[in-house]
Amino acid sequence: MGKTMIMKIMERAAHKEVHTGERVWCDIDWSTARDFGGANCTLQFDEITENKGKVWNPERIAFTFDLQAPSHSEKVSNNQKIIREFARRQGIKHVFDINRGIGQHVLLEHGHVLPGDVILGTDSHMNLLGAVGAFATGVGNTDIAASWLNGTNWFRVPDTMKIEVTGEFPCGVSMRDFLTLLVGDLGAGGLDFLAVEFTGDAIDRATLAERITLCSMVTEMSGKIGLILPSGAVLDWLAERAGPEARVRAGAIKPDPDAVYIETRKYDVSRLEPMASCPDAPDNVKPVREIAGTRVDQVHIGSCTNGRFEDIAAAYEVLERGGFKVSPDVRTIITPATTEVMKKCAERGMIEKFLDAGIVFTNPTCSLCTAEHYGALPSGDVGCSTTNRNFIGKVGKGSHTYLLSPMTAMATAVRGVITDPRDIVC
Amino acid sequence: MKIKGRVWKYGDDVNTDVIFAGKYTYTIKDRAEMARVALEDLDSDFTKNASPGDIIVAGKNWGCGSSREQAAICLKERGIGAIIARGFARIHYRNCLNEGLPIIISSELQDLIQKGDEIEIDFDLGEITAAGKKIKFPPYPEFVQGLVNDGGLIPHVKKSLGLA
Repeated sequence: MGKTMIMKIMERAAHKEVHTGERVWCDIDWSTARDFGGANCTLQFDEITENKGKVWNPERIAFTFDLQAPSHSEKVSNNQKIIREFARRQGIKHVFDINRGIGQHVLLEHGHVLPGDVILGTDSHMNLLGAVGAFATGVGNTDIAASWLNGTNWFRVPDTMKIEVTGEFPCGVSMRDFLTLLVGDLGAGGLDFLAVEFTGDAIDRATLAERITLCSMVTEMSGKIGLILPSGAVLDWLAERAGPEARVRAGAIKPDPDAVYIETRKYDVSRLEPMASCPDAPDNVKPVREIAGTRVDQVHIGSCTNGRFEDIAAAYEVLERGGFKVSPDVRTIITPATTEVMKKCAERGMIEKFLDAGIVFTNPTCSLCTAEHYGALPSGDVGCSTTNRNFIGKVGKGSHTYLLSPMTAMATAVRGVITDPRDIVC
Repeated sequence: MKIKGRVWKYGDDVNTDVIFAGKYTYTIKDRAEMARVALEDLDSDFTKNASPGDIIVAGKNWGCGSSREQAAICLKERGIGAIIARGFARIHYRNCLNEGLPIIISSELQDLIQKGDEIEIDFDLGEITAAGKKIKFPPYPEFVQGLVNDGGLIPHVKKSLGLA
């Protein structure tokens, strides 16, 4: 019987044949932690080893500082210090401090992620690394601390759903809109314990940024991992960053022609329209035109889901067509995913235009993914965001958030009310 | 092992942000303090009145969203005896196991009971007694039971390394 991508990944890591439904121990290629939760991992590791333990491999552990960078309080600063001291003591060199950006993106840009890798992290959106064919997953601090003892952890070999995406996106519509449609279709638990393989001509043409957007939101359907076989320009980019081994490893995870899928779903995006996740759940989905005119207080563009250069460039185009001015009644914040993305925005002269338009352009962080950050919403405010969750209270008690594509978010910032971007750009 | 407790009943897709709010993840390190704010953004009645031994009964996909382990710790520390749900989100499932918080997958109970009802769980027999009925639930998968028997993931890994 043929193997799916996730089975091939797990067979390499488990050094044996695997079958769906069984639980297997896998070797871990990277076990990472971020500032948010990282101190819990290091303190737990020290506790269980009575301060005498050495991690299994300091070259395979990374720390990323992304949720509160720079720290906004003494308590956060102290947590970050705990991580830095642990890294020094353990000889862990891969410390991406407050100047780098969102962890998964930084690891990817630095060439640390190969197709077929098994990666743990304390961020539930680790699985966006499925965009380059890696199996990455968020876990709690105990799972991280345990993996530091011997470089392994256990996983259930999941069934796989295949999702074929075909067609060209119409003007004003993007991968985020398809994803929002998908979350609405499948629901918050729609991919429970499943892996997904995304295929089809729309995926073949998709940029790395679009693939990341798609894979990151698998979490919001309770899926284990969304995988895309690296191809074309994405594989070239990866090989440039991570070395020629990326091509070999991509070849090794190609699903067999007779691989078995529990379900295959097909979507054609050529007639898709802009979509929104409405308060207070990602799967509360409506077309943007049905909520157009809704007054908003704040617009945020960024996050691990939609914080790449292409996302910000799409928003820039809407701003340009809208007259380079955002509504004075809306606070608009843009946060690039990484320093590399920020530099590219600077090189193109985009940041100056954003600032002149009345927008706050911040350093790279996870930014408004939680209320524990600058820009948290006060009670009663309505926010629009390109982040991945709009759970009640998530970015401020008593506030409500609409999740939108970067284009729809910027169109909304320009007009001051929720706006279909096709009204401005098409 | 048998436990008896009062039911707190919830629906589908309860996320870890409402079980343990993100704003507390830095400021609260003390486990007893974590227990005091459990479910604050979901059910203030629970936050005020849940007692040790109480049992949570939920719908599908309990514990979806963020990976924070505090969502399991705060319930364990509050003394919650077990969580019975139609299904668990996978990261939270692992976190509950790692914290030693018993979790049961069952779909029959939700329609039989109301908030405040008293139910009994017999883990040895795999049986819940509720509203005068007996409901069977499956044991943990063998692999998971092995981890539980060792006292959790960390003791299991230490044992395999000859450290325990």
